[in-house]
Amino acid sequence: MTAIQVNISRKLKGKDLITIGIFSAIYFVFNFIFMLVSGFHPVLWILMPGLIALFTGVPYMIMASKVQKPGAIFLMGFITGLIYFATGMFTVIILITFALACVLAEAVRYLTKYKSFAGNMVSFAVFSVGMIGSPLPVWLFKDSFFDQISEQGMSTEYLSSLNALANNTILVVMILAPAVLAIAGALIARALFKKHFEKAGIVKTWQR
Amino acid sequence: MIDINNVSFGYNREGDTLKNINLHIGKGECVLLCGKSGCGKTTLTKLVNGLIPHFTENCRLEGEVVAAGMEVARTELYELSKRIGSVFQNPKSQFFNLDSDSELAFGLENIGASPEYMRERLKTVVNELNVEGLEHRSIFSMSGGEKQALAFASVFAMNPDIYVLDEPTANLDGEAIEVLRRQIGKIKHQGKTVLIAEHRIYFLEDLIDRAVYMGNGEIARIYNGEEFFSLSEEQRVKMGLRKLSKEIPSVSRLPGRKTGCELVVKELCCEFKGIPVFDPVSFSAEAGEIVGITGCNGVGKSSLMRCIAGLVKQKSGKVLLNGKILTLRQRNKACFLVMQDVNHQLFGDSVWNECEMSAVYDNRLKIEDILRAFDLYSWKDSHPMALSGGQKQRLAIASGILTDKRILIFDEPTSGLDYEHMLAVSRVIRKLAERQHIILIVTHDMEFLNVVCDRTIMLTAKENGREA
Amino acid sequence: MAEINKNGQIIPIDPRTALLLLLLVTIAVFSQHSFYVEIATLLVIFGLFLYGGLAESGLKFVLQFGFLLLLQYAIFPVAPKLFTDTFSILAAYARKVLPCAMMGAFLVKRIPMRYIVLAMRKWRFPQKLIIPLSVTIRYFPAIREEMGYIRDAMKLRRISGAARIEAYIVPLMFSAANTAEELGAAAVTRGIENPAPKTSVIELRLCPRDYVLIGCGIVLAAAAFHLR
Repeated sequence: MTAIQVNISRKLKGKDLITIGIFSAIYFVFNFIFMLVSGFHPVLWILMPGLIALFTGVPYMIMASKVQKPGAIFLMGFITGLIYFATGMFTVIILITFALACVLAEAVRYLTKYKSFAGNMVSFAVFSVGMIGSPLPVWLFKDSFFDQISEQGMSTEYLSSLNALANNTILVVMILAPAVLAIAGALIARALFKKHFEKAGIVKTWQR
Repeated sequence: MIDINNVSFGYNREGDTLKNINLHIGKGECVLLCGKSGCGKTTLTKLVNGLIPHFTENCRLEGEVVAAGMEVARTELYELSKRIGSVFQNPKSQFFNLDSDSELAFGLENIGASPEYMRERLKTVVNELNVEGLEHRSIFSMSGGEKQALAFASVFAMNPDIYVLDEPTANLDGEAIEVLRRQIGKIKHQGKTVLIAEHRIYFLEDLIDRAVYMGNGEIARIYNGEEFFSLSEEQRVKMGLRKLSKEIPSVSRLPGRKTGCELVVKELCCEFKGIPVFDPVSFSAEAGEIVGITGCNGVGKSSLMRCIAGLVKQKSGKVLLNGKILTLRQRNKACFLVMQDVNHQLFGDSVWNECEMSAVYDNRLKIEDILRAFDLYSWKDSHPMALSGGQKQRLAIASGILTDKRILIFDEPTSGLDYEHMLAVSRVIRKLAERQHIILIVTHDMEFLNVVCDRTIMLTAKENGREA
Repeated sequence: MAEINKNGQIIPIDPRTALLLLLLVTIAVFSQHSFYVEIATLLVIFGLFLYGGLAESGLKFVLQFGFLLLLQYAIFPVAPKLFTDTFSILAAYARKVLPCAMMGAFLVKRIPMRYIVLAMRKWRFPQKLIIPLSVTIRYFPAIREEMGYIRDAMKLRRISGAARIEAYIVPLMFSAANTAEELGAAAVTRGIENPAPKTSVIELRLCPRDYVLIGCGIVLAAAAFHLR
């Protein structure tokens, strides 16, 4: 009589790819909601990466728990970027920041061996910072941007207040906000893991 | 064609789900796997199509399974899939594509068939299975029955030698089951080997060569087709099996018990994107009465119930309770709807908490009573999503009762339930009727309908709802 | 005129052309400093809309663009300060990304998902990317359906405040996990893990109009870099 055990490979299998696809869909929908909301006011726009981080912690962490293999985050980021790009909503800048964030998040997961909550939380924080590519052009093309809008009859007070907003302190805040809120998002996810997902057995318990 | 030798299997280290299975199925045979929920019939189908062990983590498999000449455990799933086709129970989650044409070609594209061959083959599939109506469609415009027929057709396109069907009728109405029956007849005629796990059995008469009756993970007995369908009613019930012959809704109108409390639906009509879903419907129901509502898939039964419960606005008509016209909000408050997929309505983090969230007043005793009556008390600390399908169904009903609403609506409460659980649900519903609730049940499970309903309303596509 | 395939869907151009054009338009839009290039880009895309039988929707985009111009050059200079301050960045940004959004709309309306997948296969994108991407697109309508059911269920129960957010997210996640399991089983038993190169019933072929369009795109992108 032969006892057979299938060992779990590190390569992404069919089920992993489908899990990634489904949770990327949920990630995208949450992301998209805030993308739309951010159109209402410039301040929301600058806050957007942080807000997205706060609310997407749950789908990200579930996927991270279900697919403890290299490439999962990269695919999630790629899919998000590609859909935004194909619908004409992503600029080249955000594609670059997003890609960088995905690569770094994968690296964090690789170094922390995929299994720990803390490791995945840090990878999520890194991943979330990628969204800053959306408001970043305000800083990168500051001069041409301001030329353009001052041409359009913007009041000098507003320009100076925007200038103040577009200073380096705000830039730092904008980069830190998604990282900090991602930690909060991951902690919310952990609470829901304990309360629901682990208890119902749909995710693995994190290892130390 | 299929040889299962001395197989024992467990989903984890402890406990065997299957014990000492030996089963040999010849080429061209059609074999039914039956037995109560949890008897291991679905697990047995997974041994054949390779989901065990390839798709199941940390499982334990002893013994050997050979199908279509391949040793299942040592063959890659994609190799197995070339000669073993599988259809599953949930029509919603078997698709990768948004349109039916891509879906039909999906399996062939995966093995890298040539475009010329695929075009030829797809033509054959459409002709042989008579599925012209399924071509060039968006999947999201299809009814459950159509989706299941498409799932079958796309497996048929790959032309496998073995078909493994795991409760394919769980979500189908009578008409769709008839379509499936013809499809199975077709592949049997082609000399294919068919393994089918099912609760609903009647439609398989004349199709199956043998029936494997399972209990507690073991093969209890194997019947040949004739023997099986000539089992006495008494034996069938003892074995916990669904009816062996087709049921027709029987008209068993009980004398009206006038209680003064009455739900009246008058000329109710709903629209979806400007198109009427059904023609105006009128009927009434008394407190303590159980009214069954039936009709084909897609005729608007669920929309009618959602409208009565105030979840969608009606185009015209009204809903009255005790002579008073109810607004949408009042209908939300007066009705509880146990949905077809109860997964959407369980929010709690434990069975007990789920009940507490629903209970109108904090009443530990009442919750305890109801949980005991529903055989859920020993699970009170479990997470609702960790329960089995039948348990979830009962929990949703329990939480509905605790809301203390007058009108209770059940949408397909027996999909996928075996005989005993079907009876359990009908007992619970009877009890609710005794407590003077008004009960509406949407179902195409005729066996269940005859057991539980006092009266049946047939919804037909183009005419008014008719009372039977 | 645009050809109509047997699905009754109009496939005006090869999906690869449409994707390339989107890329070129994006490059043009973000590197141009010339009003002429901006207008030319818009006109090329509008022409594509007309060709694809989308005159009405194309006109809507053009009108939106006109409205933004009007806003920037005629209304902002005379409008109250608060109004101008609140909306000027938005208007500038909306005007900039409008051609991209327009091209994206064309893709969504006229190129079925199946053809995009085909284009990606032709470009030898790995299966590991194409599979999850198609699942993502396929799952969007399902999310909407699920949300509807959950909303219904909540109306029938008394759930309020922060519990509402939890009550949305939790069933959504459970359902996603279940679907992943079931869809995964259906996928692997239909050979999704087969390493053989995938084939397709439909064969793509570039024809002259595709080259013309790609040519237009290249000219626009080049002009964007050189015209000031």
